[in-house]
Amino acid sequence: MIQDLALDGKAVVITGGSHGIGRGMALACAEAGAGVVIAARGQERIDEVVAEIRAAGGKAIGVPTDATNRQQVDALVAACVSEYGKIDAMFAHAGGSGGGPQSDAPFWEYPDEAFEGAVIGNLMSSFYSCRAAAKAMVEQGTGGSLVMTATAGAVRASQRWAYATSKGALLSMTKVLAGRLGPQGIRANVLLPGMIATSEATTEQERAIREQRGMFTPAGRVGMGADFGALAVYLVSDASKYVTGQQFLVDGGMVNGGVAPPFYTPQHEI
Amino acid sequence: MPLEHRFSLAGKKTMVIGAETPAGGAIARAYAEAGADVALCALTADDAVLKARAVKRDIEAMGRTATEYVMDVTLGKNVQVTTRQIAKELGGLDAVASAPDLFLAKPIEKISDSELQRVMQMNFTSQFFVVRTAVEEFRRAKAPGRIVLVTSVLHERGMMNVSAYSAAAGAVASLIRSAGHELSHENITVNGIGLGWMDWMDDRLTPGDENADRARRFPMLRRMGTAEDLGGLAVLLSAEESAPYITGQVLAVDGGLTQHQ
Repeated sequence: MIQDLALDGKAVVITGGSHGIGRGMALACAEAGAGVVIAARGQERIDEVVAEIRAAGGKAIGVPTDATNRQQVDALVAACVSEYGKIDAMFAHAGGSGGGPQSDAPFWEYPDEAFEGAVIGNLMSSFYSCRAAAKAMVEQGTGGSLVMTATAGAVRASQRWAYATSKGALLSMTKVLAGRLGPQGIRANVLLPGMIATSEATTEQERAIREQRGMFTPAGRVGMGADFGALAVYLVSDASKYVTGQQFLVDGGMVNGGVAPPFYTPQHEI
Repeated sequence: MPLEHRFSLAGKKTMVIGAETPAGGAIARAYAEAGADVALCALTADDAVLKARAVKRDIEAMGRTATEYVMDVTLGKNVQVTTRQIAKELGGLDAVASAPDLFLAKPIEKISDSELQRVMQMNFTSQFFVVRTAVEEFRRAKAPGRIVLVTSVLHERGMMNVSAYSAAAGAVASLIRSAGHELSHENITVNGIGLGWMDWMDDRLTPGDENADRARRFPMLRRMGTAEDLGGLAVLLSAEESAPYITGQVLAVDGGLTQHQ
């Protein structure tokens, strides 16, 4: 079984791969033997991750990509195939506001541009990435693994409702792709991160905020990018060949609770 | 179809098990309001009988027939015999609701064998007996049947110290899915009502505990549920014409508690 988890010879693309969860997944896949492609908008942070992987003896290239731009995404997959001869996995992880304005407006006054931005940033970008990867996988005739990133907020009422709504569409897309692409040997799964810190805390204030947020999580802490590493390796590997259409909550138990503060402890005898 | 007919239990024979509980009492009153005669079963022969009798008086004041019984739901035979007697006395049986609720909250390593057994017996095994027996009566009458089991939203959520209680609720949810499936071709529906935080639940939301006070505000509607919040759904799931195509479901009456992040 353990050899099934080795990623030697696999080619993996990670959009949003230069920091946070994406970086954690990229480092783990490279460590497991995969050749990775780090895609993100900023060249500088891409270079840092690529250098980090290479310094550790791994294989990585960086391809600056705006995941909301279909031509750039197609070129990203082509770059992976050109470098490694194929693509085995796509982490369609990049997300965000898609260039739209952030808005705290109440629902009844929420601006079109902010909602459209969330749909473009989270849903369209995942669609472009999965479509391009699936096309290459079908042409290769090898099958492969598509992994999208939604949010725990997509299965509960999130304060960030436009974000959560657009991410929620990825839950449906995961099921649909699992069903549609199964015959081609392509599996589709989705990650649902809970409260995750995307970088190391640099100030006392930041540390205090994280500690407080951790109190809302049964695990007692917020998550880190590294918490996604082993799962990412598993989802790329042959060990997960029969796993498709699934939602993976990585939330320290947050969503499983939610009916009371995590450490509320009733006592009642019968 | 006229609206009052769609939601009507006029002339229907119904039974509420655990009629002394706030949920059972609310369902019994709602059944009577919708026109049903109601057999009220108290789960124990103590002050539960007096509480069930108060429900009986309310129902009689509406001009319906209410009768009272004591049913030991820990014994399948007792559930069967009492139900048979009720069906005979009422002249049939169309809908059954069951609302037991024995809450236990202790760390898992402190829960004894007998405590686990009691929690499972009262909250789950009793519901199994109720479904098994009700089906016999519905088949005997060759008539449609409606079963409503009251349980907790903890069937799908975790919390500290409620391992035994939530496991029983989970078993009820599974019973509802499988029995709903098994009986669907006989026009017998089996559904559940999952309760969130209700205003009588001081046993699990300890008064004075600040985290319990926070939990009381977790429902999206920012209040705890009341007995009156249950009646409508119970009637919807129990009337012959209202929801014949809904079965195997546990519907939450929780003010949005389980959608809270």
